[in-house]
Amino acid sequence: MKTIPNRATRAFTAATVLLAFAACGDSSTAPGGEQELITRVTLTFTPTGGGAPLVAYIDDPDGAGPTAPSAQVGALNFAAGMSYTGRVLFENRLENPPVNITAEVEAEAEEHRVFYMATGAGISVSTTDVDGQGRPLGVRFTADAAPAAGTGTIRVVLCHYGDTPKPAQASSCTQDTDIDVTFNYSVTN
Amino acid sequence: MLVTDRMPLVSTLRRLARILRATLVRPWRLPRLAPLALLLTAMMIAGTAHAQAGRHLHGVLEDSASSEPLRGAEISVVWGDAASVMRRARTDGAGRFDFRDLPARRVVMRVRMLGYTPLERVVDLSREDVLLKIVLSASNITLQAVDVTADTLIDALERVAAMSTLDATALNAMRGQTLGETIKNLPGVSVIQLGPSIAKPVIRGLNSQRVLVLNAGLRQEDQQWGTEHAPNLDSFDADAVTVVRGAATVLYGADALGGVVRIDHAAVRDSGPTRGEVSLNAFSNSRQGAVSFGVHGGGLMLPLVGRTGYRLRLTTRVAGNGAAPDYYLSNTGFRELNGSATFGVQRGWGTSELLVSRFATELGVLRQAHAGSFEDLQRAMTTPPRDSAFSYDIGSPNQRVSHTTARWRSTFARLSGGELEVVYGLQYNHRREYDGHGPLRFQNVPAFNLKLFTNSLDVRFRHATWNGLFGTVGASAQVQGNQTLGKAFLIPGFDQRQGALYAQEEWSTGRLSVTGGVRGDFISQTTLAFADAGIRSAAGTHSWGGFSGSLGAAVRLGNAWNASLRIARAWRPPTVNERYAQGVHHGTAQYELGEENLVAERSLGVEAGLRFAGQRVSLDLAAYNNVINDFIYLRPREPVFTLRGAFPAYNYEQADARLRGVELAGVWTVQRWLELRGTANAVRGTNRENSQPLYDMPADRALLQGRIVGQSARIGAWHVGGGATLVRRQDGVPQGTIYTLPTSGYQLLQAEVGTAGLMLFGRELDVSLSMNNALDTRFRDYLSRYRLFVNDAGRDVVLRVRVPIN
Repeated sequence: MKTIPNRATRAFTAATVLLAFAACGDSSTAPGGEQELITRVTLTFTPTGGGAPLVAYIDDPDGAGPTAPSAQVGALNFAAGMSYTGRVLFENRLENPPVNITAEVEAEAEEHRVFYMATGAGISVSTTDVDGQGRPLGVRFTADAAPAAGTGTIRVVLCHYGDTPKPAQASSCTQDTDIDVTFNYSVTN
Repeated sequence: MLVTDRMPLVSTLRRLARILRATLVRPWRLPRLAPLALLLTAMMIAGTAHAQAGRHLHGVLEDSASSEPLRGAEISVVWGDAASVMRRARTDGAGRFDFRDLPARRVVMRVRMLGYTPLERVVDLSREDVLLKIVLSASNITLQAVDVTADTLIDALERVAAMSTLDATALNAMRGQTLGETIKNLPGVSVIQLGPSIAKPVIRGLNSQRVLVLNAGLRQEDQQWGTEHAPNLDSFDADAVTVVRGAATVLYGADALGGVVRIDHAAVRDSGPTRGEVSLNAFSNSRQGAVSFGVHGGGLMLPLVGRTGYRLRLTTRVAGNGAAPDYYLSNTGFRELNGSATFGVQRGWGTSELLVSRFATELGVLRQAHAGSFEDLQRAMTTPPRDSAFSYDIGSPNQRVSHTTARWRSTFARLSGGELEVVYGLQYNHRREYDGHGPLRFQNVPAFNLKLFTNSLDVRFRHATWNGLFGTVGASAQVQGNQTLGKAFLIPGFDQRQGALYAQEEWSTGRLSVTGGVRGDFISQTTLAFADAGIRSAAGTHSWGGFSGSLGAAVRLGNAWNASLRIARAWRPPTVNERYAQGVHHGTAQYELGEENLVAERSLGVEAGLRFAGQRVSLDLAAYNNVINDFIYLRPREPVFTLRGAFPAYNYEQADARLRGVELAGVWTVQRWLELRGTANAVRGTNRENSQPLYDMPADRALLQGRIVGQSARIGAWHVGGGATLVRRQDGVPQGTIYTLPTSGYQLLQAEVGTAGLMLFGRELDVSLSMNNALDTRFRDYLSRYRLFVNDAGRDVVLRVRVPIN
């Protein structure tokens, strides 16, 4: 994030520093770290039996801006009865090269959890990875497609617990929602 | 604990509330108040004059040569330890002055008028009321060092505008945790509250950038645009607080469209003994302790300057989590450390004063109110509040705010019979808000980090009486710069320059006085481009110019009645946040979107006042109709969707609006030892374009108090009292908000006991103990920002001790 210190401001900073009580401990440039800006969420499903993975993503190029996220790119067409291993990828693609936020989520696994909530009977998702204390994390998962054809949605919620302890068992996010996006899927015979 | 009928006092009060409600409400139209006002007036006037708690000092002022009455002289009455309490007034067109409710003791009266020799005399009020005739002689000698408090600009307004002042005695007795809490019981005032730590004054339904806080003669520039931004002031560092209701833009500029909160300090005298005081406050609800140490004196010999007076103050307070009746409000503690130093000289040419002060606070924001998205918000609203352990710790979300001020103020007397005042101010406001988002390792990086620098110069000339006119002309200039440095965007950086010219004049005969003023303002706003994802903040400069004016008349009817009428025209350019805000506010998960093309809002207010000051009864009634065209407000829109989910969103928009209301305040001294007080406020805000009520209007409220007072040598001037706050249901809520707002009314009881001048260990102490929300009633005020999540604070026992040190 860039800020241009304006001329008037600089003059005042000088005057204020002269008066020497302001605790201006901050640097005059914006700090890094950002607000965990995520502009793309990608789901990848790889068939356990081998074959081409299914990939779909949703973009929100203005991040926290008011323009709604894009439509889903890529279709999730599961084969009936097939099992998949899955991964979620959170990225900030405004940076060049894009920043992989999933790595940060994994590095801070004890503060985070990814929930997958599917509608329609077509798919069931179960997370396979855990944090340092054995509680589910959800960056990696398995998905089993139903034997019958159908359609539905998968809602992906990245929950951020911060300094509140993460519950060992939970079916939905009870702290701050960092990501909340919904993908469409279909199951075909 | 719930209010139970076992307690006779409660049931009586309930009945009283019912009667009041029956009189006042069901679709409450303002004219319905008229019978109540008449009833109260009749009730109060019915009392005959045979006793009174406070003393009355009145009289006339004349020129020694011509025996003509002297108008516009400043008269102050001071008493108390180190002359710490002061009341001021100006003589009217008939040279009259009138002070009521003074203590029964010796007081010092000072008379000051340009072109005359100042006069100081001791008046003994310990036995009886005093009527005086004072004669001033014109003089050529230079002005002596006479204690003059702060700026005198307000006085012309005093007769035509609705104003109330808390003097040092009242402040000592009512000092709250914050400035907002201290003034919230004045007529026409309410507060937007975020738990115990943030209280934002609302005057006649308007707040933030429409209410100016004037601290020691300087416009307080502390990013007042956010409702969760409280005034950055030390509530101990004030000798008087005055609230002006209604537009006062002629004297104070565009920010005063809704009203003014003025904080004044006694002038620092360069001679006189050294005195000090220690004040201790303790609040049981948040287990808060506050200590303030003040000292002032004269005779300091400084190189190059010579004899100098000084005043120093140091205040600290520490509060933990506030407590609602059933649970603690998590993360609502705060700590403050404030200091100020003032140095002043009085010389033949005038006076000069330098003040430097710093206010610093860290405060927690209710954890539950910090939602990540719409779904989080809904969950927070529907989950019953969790009890959290009591703690003094402040975690995220939180705010760290500091406000640093340097102010130089000089007056130059005897310039062609007038007085010139020059005030230069430098202010630096640093606001950091930390949220709960992002990885823990970044939790010490503020989400919002805003620095606001303000440089201002005010020059005023109070001219000598000229063709029967008495008044002030002035010019002011201000340059402001804002930096936006946080990890999230809320408003862009900006430079703002403004200048103004104004004049206010008063003309009066013995019975009638007319005050009029006009002001021209020019404001130029340059916003800086902000380069980040989706933030549409372009660089650009926009300017506005305009005139505001006011005309008022006051007439004295008989000896005790005073009626006034005032028309004020005001305007205000849109602020940077209204034009460019883009982001989620803490505390409400509310996504706010500015509108770049807003135009200035313009208001035309008409107000009428009726005041009665009898021997035992005084009454103050005010009614107003304020039409604001292009009123800037937040209108709910469809939610904003991001990858984080949906946020309830609001656009800044404009609509023609109207605010109407009435205020009533009365004091009835039933017996020498019994005093009854009451205030009542009602305001109705309407969007005239769709006939919907305006958002965030205070609910109708009445405050009733009874006090038994007495005096003894050992105990001092003591009092025992109780009171009730009655708040009616808020039924003026606009449609289309996504929240289910709590709007029900509530009643709170309050009790207090205290004394001023208690002799203990050879010292004179002021001690009081009071209990707010005595029945630990569960309630949610409509203006509480935490109303969606938790109840407001429960019972609070407050101990205040003030020890003078000589």
